[in-house]
Amino acid sequence: MKAKDIMEQVKDYLSPDDTIKNAVNKMRVLKRDDGIVGVKGMIVLDNEGNLVGMVSVKDILKAIIPFYMTMTELGEFTWEGMLAEMTKKVADKKVAEIMMKDVITVSEDAPLMECADLIVKHNLQRVPVLNKEKKVVGIIYVRDLYNAIVRVLLDDKEVQNL
Amino acid sequence: MTHEAAAASQPFVMDATFWTATTIFLISYVVIISEKVHKTVVAVFAASLMLVLKILSQYEAFHVEELGVDWNVIFLLIGMMTIINLMRPTGFFEYIAIKSAKAGKGDPMRIMTIFAIVTAVLSALLDNVTTVLLLAPVTLLIADALEVDPIPFLIVEALASNIGGTATLIGDPPNIMIASKAKLNFMDFIYNLTPIVIVLMVVLLVIIKIVFGKKLKTREELKQRIMQMNEKEAIKDPLMLKKSLFVLGLVLVGFVFHGTLELQPATVALFGAGLLLLLSNTHEPHHYLAEIEWPTIFFFIGLFILVGGVVKVGLIKLMSLKMLALTQGNLLATSMIVMWFSAIASAIVDNIPYVATMNPLIIDMAKQMWPQETGLALLRHPDLMPIWWSLALGACLGGNGSPIGASANVIVVGMAEKAGKKISFMRFVAYGFPIMLLTVFISMIYVWLRYYVFSF
Repeated sequence: MKAKDIMEQVKDYLSPDDTIKNAVNKMRVLKRDDGIVGVKGMIVLDNEGNLVGMVSVKDILKAIIPFYMTMTELGEFTWEGMLAEMTKKVADKKVAEIMMKDVITVSEDAPLMECADLIVKHNLQRVPVLNKEKKVVGIIYVRDLYNAIVRVLLDDKEVQNL
Repeated sequence: MTHEAAAASQPFVMDATFWTATTIFLISYVVIISEKVHKTVVAVFAASLMLVLKILSQYEAFHVEELGVDWNVIFLLIGMMTIINLMRPTGFFEYIAIKSAKAGKGDPMRIMTIFAIVTAVLSALLDNVTTVLLLAPVTLLIADALEVDPIPFLIVEALASNIGGTATLIGDPPNIMIASKAKLNFMDFIYNLTPIVIVLMVVLLVIIKIVFGKKLKTREELKQRIMQMNEKEAIKDPLMLKKSLFVLGLVLVGFVFHGTLELQPATVALFGAGLLLLLSNTHEPHHYLAEIEWPTIFFFIGLFILVGGVVKVGLIKLMSLKMLALTQGNLLATSMIVMWFSAIASAIVDNIPYVATMNPLIIDMAKQMWPQETGLALLRHPDLMPIWWSLALGACLGGNGSPIGASANVIVVGMAEKAGKKISFMRFVAYGFPIMLLTVFISMIYVWLRYYVFSF
């Protein structure tokens, strides 16, 4: 099995010009392959469809938390409603400013072991899969690898009975 | 006149060595000012050239006081930085900042005033960079809580830090360097500079009251956000805090009496660092030692050797003769020129290389004026003292003139930018330059009255 055999289809993506508000809404309504609605991260493609970044919930939180809080131990000195206030402040910030730019990817022909290794080494939730033209053709989530392991360890009957 | 006498009266020989050293010196300073290469890299490389080209021998660079590395400065900085690195994780500085904001009852104008005073005092006792580095994040938090613009607060803190740092021997690098070269002790600075710095701080507070008094307003419910904060939660390690304050207190007492005890300031600082390291029970001293600002330390080391090279070949002597020709030995004129030139130069360029060059220049000038004096009698000649104070006042206060004039300014501007509140070059100048002109002007009157009219 290769990456392309377990990856999920790309159903939607963000643009670098999307605002955080737009991004949050797109993530909220996106339907996963298993039917659940809502994702915690999305890829960012430019106008030519090239992968330029990825945004996860943590990237959004990082944009909301003021930088001075990360610099010093000021966690105790916050106030009721501060998170909401700071969230409103960054609502119109562009995805381009907050996205993670150095995205780790795999090629569609990569073996599953390579995918598993990358996910563990870099503590990833999702890895975009690229074809030879470097276009995104799918995404592998941690759950896809987990499903692959389940299929190795348990036969179809056992899976049905669970 | 014998051949030897003629040679001795010759200030210098403009041979190949002279021109090589001068070229290295000038190019280094131009590159440092241009900021194309990191200043530490420039200084260390230029210093190594002085040694490799044998302009200065390694012995002279490492062991001769007049030509080489000033280890008093190096170890005073290392000692104080180590103490602060050990003290920082205790949460003491956050505690002071939150406590100050609450003392201001959440009122922005009061908070700005209290923060300016706290910044000035901490800058006088520690160093400016550490002070603003620790206070600026809390300032941004408080400005967010009160929904006011943090930029005036941050600029006022930078200005107060540079003014406060002028007050003591350990407050600002120019003072540390001047003290070491001129053999001045901690109490000399307290007697001569602290009084005028207190006056300058009062002036600064009056000005910020006039400028911001009516503009800085917040709502009553926002003040409650500050008042509800519990500053005690900032203290992460109460035992280590007690140890740190004990050692810091001991070090300050040591500074006050170091002249009487015949201990160099660097000895006092190193003792404090050693004692606090011991008391901390740390098994990982590398952690605290790694946080010493090594690039700054190496910048100093490189600069001292670089300047030593041009002292040895006579460039500094040439410059001091030019200066004497300009002032014709008039001491008041010399003081005033040194002060204003230092202020303008320090607003434009880093005041550390400037003072590193001016120190030997002033000593050379003193040698010309009082050829019969040597050693302490020369360095602490009563007529020379006002010139040292003029250099210190000019170089320290000049830092307020522009956002690049002092390290504290650079840090404040950098932090504001990260917080999404860009301070433009001109916005800083609009506050800083008038304050610089006014404080240097008042200092000029002070030096004139105290040393030339009343001479006490």
